[in-house]
Amino acid sequence: MMAARAPPGAAGCCRRLVAAALAAGLRPLLCGLPPCWSVAWRAAARWSGPGPGPGLRVPEAAEAAQQVQQVQQVQRAGVPLRRFIACPELACTVQRCLQGGAAPGTQPLLLECAPGPGVLTRTLLNAGVRVVALESHSAFLPNLQSLENSLDGQLKVIYGDFFRLDPLITGPVKPPAVCSEKLFESMGVVAVPWRADVPVKIFAILPQKKERNTLWRLLFALYECSSIYKYGRVELNFFISEKEYEVLTAKPGEVRAYQALTVLWQVGCEIQLLHMEPWSSFITNLKNGGLAVPKSTWLPNDHLCLVRLTPRQSLFTGGMKPTNSATFIFMVKQCLAKPRSRLIDRLNSWSLYNGRKLLRELEIPENAQTVNLYPEDYRRLFEALQNSSVFTESWFHDEVLESIRNINF
Amino acid sequence: MSLLRLRAALLGPARLRGAGIPWSVLRNYSSTSTKEKARRNAICERTELLEVLKARVKQLQASNVPEVTVSKVELAPLGKDKCQVPLQRVAVPSPAEEQSAPKRKDEGPARPSNWVEKLKKEMYVRQLKVERKLSIAASQLALEGQAKAKMKSKTKAKAKSKKSLKSLKATVMPTWTQSPAGLSRAYAHKPWLAEMKEGTKEQKPRKVPQKVLEDKESSQYKILQQTILSNLECFQFLQQPEEAERFLLLYHSSPVKRRLLNVTAYNIVMRSWAKKGCLHRINRLFSMLQSVGLRPNLDSYAAELECMSRDESSSKVIQRCVQRLKNDGFHVDELFHKCLFEEDEKEKVLRAIRMIQPNYQLPPPPNPETCKSALLRDFYSREKTVSYPKLDFSAQELRERFQQQLEMELNNTITIESVEATKPLTPQAIKARKLLATLRSQWHNSILQALQKSKHSMSKVNMSGYNLYPYLCLLPDEEYVGIMLQVLNTLSPQGESLAILAKELGSKIYNRYVTQRKLRSRQLEKVQEVYEDYIHLLAKDSQPDEYLPREYWEKLVAEAGFGPSLNLKDCSWPYMLLLRLGMHLLELLVQAVKVPRNILNTRLESKLIPVLYHVYSFRNSWQVGLIKPHPIFSQIVSDAAETMLTFNSFVIPMLCPPVPWTSPHFGAFVLNDTKLMRYVDGAIQHQLLLEQCPQVNLHPVLDALNQLGNCAWKINQPVLDIIISIFNDKGNEKLDIPPPISEAPRPPVAPSNSSAWNKSQKHELLLCKKKTAEMHSLRMDALYKLSIANYVRDKVFWFPHNMDFRGRTYPCPPYFNHLGNDVTRAILLFAEGRPLGPKGLDWLKIHLINLTGLKKKNALQERLEYANEIMEEILDSADHPLTGRKWWMKTDEPWQALACCMEIAKASRSPDPAAYVSHFPVHQDGSCNGLQHYAALGRDLIGAISVNLMPCDVPQDVYSAVAQQVEEFRKKDAQQGVKIAQVLQGFISRKVVKQTVMTVVYGVTRYGGRLQMEKRLKEIDDFPEEYLWEASHYLVKQVFNGIKEMFSATRDIQNWLTESAKLIAQSGRTVEWVTPLGLPVVQPYYRARSTVLNCSMQNLSVKNSNSNQKPDTVKQKNAFPPNFIHSLDSTHMMLTALHCLRRGLTFVSVHDCYWTHALTVDVMNQICRQQFVALHSEKILQDLSEFMLKKYCSSSSPGRETKALWQKKLMEQLSNVPKTGEFNLRKVMESTYFFS
Repeated sequence: MMAARAPPGAAGCCRRLVAAALAAGLRPLLCGLPPCWSVAWRAAARWSGPGPGPGLRVPEAAEAAQQVQQVQQVQRAGVPLRRFIACPELACTVQRCLQGGAAPGTQPLLLECAPGPGVLTRTLLNAGVRVVALESHSAFLPNLQSLENSLDGQLKVIYGDFFRLDPLITGPVKPPAVCSEKLFESMGVVAVPWRADVPVKIFAILPQKKERNTLWRLLFALYECSSIYKYGRVELNFFISEKEYEVLTAKPGEVRAYQALTVLWQVGCEIQLLHMEPWSSFITNLKNGGLAVPKSTWLPNDHLCLVRLTPRQSLFTGGMKPTNSATFIFMVKQCLAKPRSRLIDRLNSWSLYNGRKLLRELEIPENAQTVNLYPEDYRRLFEALQNSSVFTESWFHDEVLESIRNINF
Repeated sequence: MSLLRLRAALLGPARLRGAGIPWSVLRNYSSTSTKEKARRNAICERTELLEVLKARVKQLQASNVPEVTVSKVELAPLGKDKCQVPLQRVAVPSPAEEQSAPKRKDEGPARPSNWVEKLKKEMYVRQLKVERKLSIAASQLALEGQAKAKMKSKTKAKAKSKKSLKSLKATVMPTWTQSPAGLSRAYAHKPWLAEMKEGTKEQKPRKVPQKVLEDKESSQYKILQQTILSNLECFQFLQQPEEAERFLLLYHSSPVKRRLLNVTAYNIVMRSWAKKGCLHRINRLFSMLQSVGLRPNLDSYAAELECMSRDESSSKVIQRCVQRLKNDGFHVDELFHKCLFEEDEKEKVLRAIRMIQPNYQLPPPPNPETCKSALLRDFYSREKTVSYPKLDFSAQELRERFQQQLEMELNNTITIESVEATKPLTPQAIKARKLLATLRSQWHNSILQALQKSKHSMSKVNMSGYNLYPYLCLLPDEEYVGIMLQVLNTLSPQGESLAILAKELGSKIYNRYVTQRKLRSRQLEKVQEVYEDYIHLLAKDSQPDEYLPREYWEKLVAEAGFGPSLNLKDCSWPYMLLLRLGMHLLELLVQAVKVPRNILNTRLESKLIPVLYHVYSFRNSWQVGLIKPHPIFSQIVSDAAETMLTFNSFVIPMLCPPVPWTSPHFGAFVLNDTKLMRYVDGAIQHQLLLEQCPQVNLHPVLDALNQLGNCAWKINQPVLDIIISIFNDKGNEKLDIPPPISEAPRPPVAPSNSSAWNKSQKHELLLCKKKTAEMHSLRMDALYKLSIANYVRDKVFWFPHNMDFRGRTYPCPPYFNHLGNDVTRAILLFAEGRPLGPKGLDWLKIHLINLTGLKKKNALQERLEYANEIMEEILDSADHPLTGRKWWMKTDEPWQALACCMEIAKASRSPDPAAYVSHFPVHQDGSCNGLQHYAALGRDLIGAISVNLMPCDVPQDVYSAVAQQVEEFRKKDAQQGVKIAQVLQGFISRKVVKQTVMTVVYGVTRYGGRLQMEKRLKEIDDFPEEYLWEASHYLVKQVFNGIKEMFSATRDIQNWLTESAKLIAQSGRTVEWVTPLGLPVVQPYYRARSTVLNCSMQNLSVKNSNSNQKPDTVKQKNAFPPNFIHSLDSTHMMLTALHCLRRGLTFVSVHDCYWTHALTVDVMNQICRQQFVALHSEKILQDLSEFMLKKYCSSSSPGRETKALWQKKLMEQLSNVPKTGEFNLRKVMESTYFFS
């Protein structure tokens, strides 16, 4: 029996997009960049130096909104919901947050995902930041490209969708999906060691539907040192919904908010709240101009939060390695699947017979519930387990593999 | 009450933190937040408050001791019970609390009796418990933990003191209804609602129950009600009327909870007392019934009369009872018509009646009704009846077979040798088997201990609704252990979902319980008695009877005077209860079963580790709990290579003709509970609908199912032997014989430390594991099928049938049946043999060519000629299946083809092929059966031709026709310069459009259709990839257009059905209809609500789609057209089955594929066409429209204006039946390829 289906053609829009892009003569851009580009970039970097940028006119909020609506008119139904910064003041705030008071010259390159009408882009450029704009919507491209052409290499525009980075399916990557290697190559960013400084900053407003998914995928990439993290400790600056922010920064014991995602992000990254902004400050691409604020039952959700996620230099010390970190992720997920369960029960249910002794060594009370363990505790637990022969020889690894398959392959 | 509220308030936040705070606060990772500080303060405050409360309780206890002694003195003469409770230990009420005691109403004079003592005993137990709690609490060191425990015990003590107050009060005033009120009041804080929301923490306000109780229609209400009934039935089964009554009182005495009780609940308790002959108890229950405004029903009076008969009451008392019965509008005769008597109840009631009317005669059974459906007028008309076809068995043989079957079902499980048993045993296997045997006996003991321990601790907990204790007493402990060990034996190395295992365990217990009940209630005896006579209808050596199996059975039941009591009183357990019971047993299993860690590797230190572990598997946002066996255990099991398989008895085909279906509750197996209609767990709407409809309307359906079930089968032994030999060798994927795991791909040798593997190694390993897991499940499936087939290889057997909600029929045994794949079908033969007759051999040959998949477009004659041409190949295949030229292996259905080759060889070599007795089933397939029904409904001329409703010389192929049509559209578009149409030149073929055309009938959308197209185009190598999306989009549009062009009325009908369903669902109702045979159908799609079942191991989220929820509009709408068509094809099948029966044919069906002997293919074809014409000559759509108008539009409730508008829109839609074309239906009669 055929179950409910999405409206006809829903899956097709992206393909139509490709066709449109082809029609718009964007083909060269898709098939890699001219080799001279990175040279030009380095020249530009030298040029921009410290000091103010080119002094572009930042469009007013209404203008930007109109542009978004115009783009929307061209599109047929089924375009995913997007949010944009339209208000110049908000753009300034964000720009200040992103720069964090540092002089523009000392700042790494900034990848702005889905700039749309480019209000923030111009503000950043004016502040002297070197920007790569990764735009997934072909209709926004001409505008951005003319901006790119008017500047001397301070802006680079790439057609692609950050939220379709390194797609899981095998086969050729079709734009706007992008492959991280291609992306970093065209940005001219080379890999640096893990303990080195941040090689690149990324700014994005996470799309609501993909928020959780994106956070999980980035997490796997982080612990595996794959995808964008192959290039070093890439700093993420994301606008995420307040409820998700609450989850990321939850404290042990907060049953609703403290989740596997919390522990894993807190172990992996320093989490810094840069700014909170009400949902209404952003415009959406909805025809009725609605805000489409996602519902939340248990956690507050009145804002979008600009959060900085900087991978910890110390992540891969101790027993944690990119090769075994999947076990850590699996272990935390197992523990927090039922937050009220006792840790000792979990350990026992994995047939690790010496759970009690282990907890005593770690000074964790025997009746501790998994929700009450600090992220640091999980890390210590994992490191201790790595040293236990029973653990390494156990079936646990098979399970880990299986869990990876469900997410990563 | 205020105290309780206080307690709840106190408990709330404390519970939230649980025992977790102390250490996480004390250990300083980050600075303590202000929140946490506040929390700690709150805890301190609470501790203070607790001290106050504690003091207060002490005070109360001290001041009340004298009163207790007084009441004890009063009680002593009244009590019957010997047990004396040391009352000093009972916590004592305070006078101050008296004000809060509930108002009581005096209900009739009744004596206080031993339940008061019962109550006291229980209080004593509770007191002990509280004391134990206190001591535990004292031993706790953590400050908060201590405070919490204290508070808990404190409040408990409080509640208790109150309870005892009330019970004492009650004893002082000699009325029996009040004290239970007090009792339950005291319990009120207990999460009695736990049935549905065990997770509800106590701090949650008690609003939930209120809400549930207000909404009588809510599913939770029904589940609760059902749970209460099954609890009471448990007590009845355990013959514990006191417990049953106590449980009933728990609900009865609370004005809120009382609403959950219905007459049935009271009746169950009455019947328990009736067995003991305690009339005063029954009298009391009667007055309780009246006090809550319920009216006693027939069952209540039956219980009372039974009791009177047992305790030798005077005829005066009985007279009074009968008078009351009459005053309530009942008649004595009705007792024997409608009540479901168990054990000797009927005799007792009859005796009571005869006390006052010595000459009372049992009322004659009601005259059997006859179905009046126009389609079956001939079938049921008395003049034309012929005797029922006889089986080739004597009555004595059938009786013996029945005994075998009964024995098997009484054992509930059956252990058979698997087909792998023929392999030689290795020394390793012998060793592993020994090891396993020792382990098993150890496990048996440890599980038994764990079970007894848990029962012991449960028996001490008070009796609230969610206590599983009675359910753990139904069977002997050993049986529970046996069932749990079975789970261990069948668990796959990959593990199994917790919910599935829990359900399996729960339903195994339930099945066993039902069997016990059937034995206890003497239902089995009665069935046995009737069956003995029933077989005379089927046996060759008895008089011919002009009855159908159902009619004959009903007649025998009536003659034996059993009335309806062959049916068991409904005792099904709610789904949640099954799961809860299963979860409990599973938890015991996980805890109890251990294995030494060094059992396989003696170098390791010896420690016991659990055999089963519990992990979560994550799928997208879902997490699924799994139970997996430890690799050590899996290793031992695989080494042991055990060859015995244990199945539930219903997995094996029946060894005697099935018990005929006579009602939705009765039929199929002798003991195993079988449902007439299959449905998803927890759905009850189908069963309700079947019960509500007039039973005579179900007769055709029941008769058809009986007919299908009465077909006797046997095994095609030569083919089975060949299959087993390949299976035990290395399998053969091409021939669909799954290879053993030893043939699975091995992962590359990798570094010993798996964490050091790189990504591609991991990936490869994963692929290997995945493949192994798939192979394992395929192998096991085949092993089960073949082993069952091998077990019945020398026997004749039967497949009892039931149906899904649309009337499609299925054999009940799940693994081995004729609906299976090519392999299973090839080993089945009719037990009955018929000579081939003049045309039989030809039919066998045509059937063979049909199975090969060749010559699909050729006429029958050409297929026959082709078969004759390749006779040499056929004979070679038959004679040297594995060593010859293996022609049979290259066909579409190789195993059936091989079986057919062998049959042809035997027949053609016999001296007179026409006289050769063949057991071979010949199939006739409907060609695109769904579209056939649509075309006939809409009288589409072009459509009818393309699906062979019109006579033609060669079979028409609808897929090619659609492909042609699409190609025409494409050409036109290409000429007009449509790019994609030009790209598609030369790519449109039958293959590309086939799947979409086939599924259009079943409601495929453009979205799904496009995906199908894309898949097909991808398979074409030289199709340019960049056009995939556009091309598939274009193609699906054209296919839809093409179908619209050819089946114009079909699309209209489909749209009409969809639109009607949408409007009905939007108005909040589910789509219902009645098939032309009178079977009521309801679409069971609701917006699922999930309920959380809180268990200590894991919380289970249980989705229940219940009729009380809103319908799922999208599903209701999309599924209606295909479901409606399925209900038509099932009707057509049943009509054919019934008429074949009248013509003496053997007939079975696999949905739209009909099987019969080669001799009777022509007759079956004729009947099949006749019935198709007859079915579609009915005004199907008009009838549907009328039915729906009546159902959904007649209730002209004076609603709001919007509602009236809806109503009008719906009415318009429903009345607007689509127009039909001008196809002449009678043409079907001459169409050779309609079914072929």
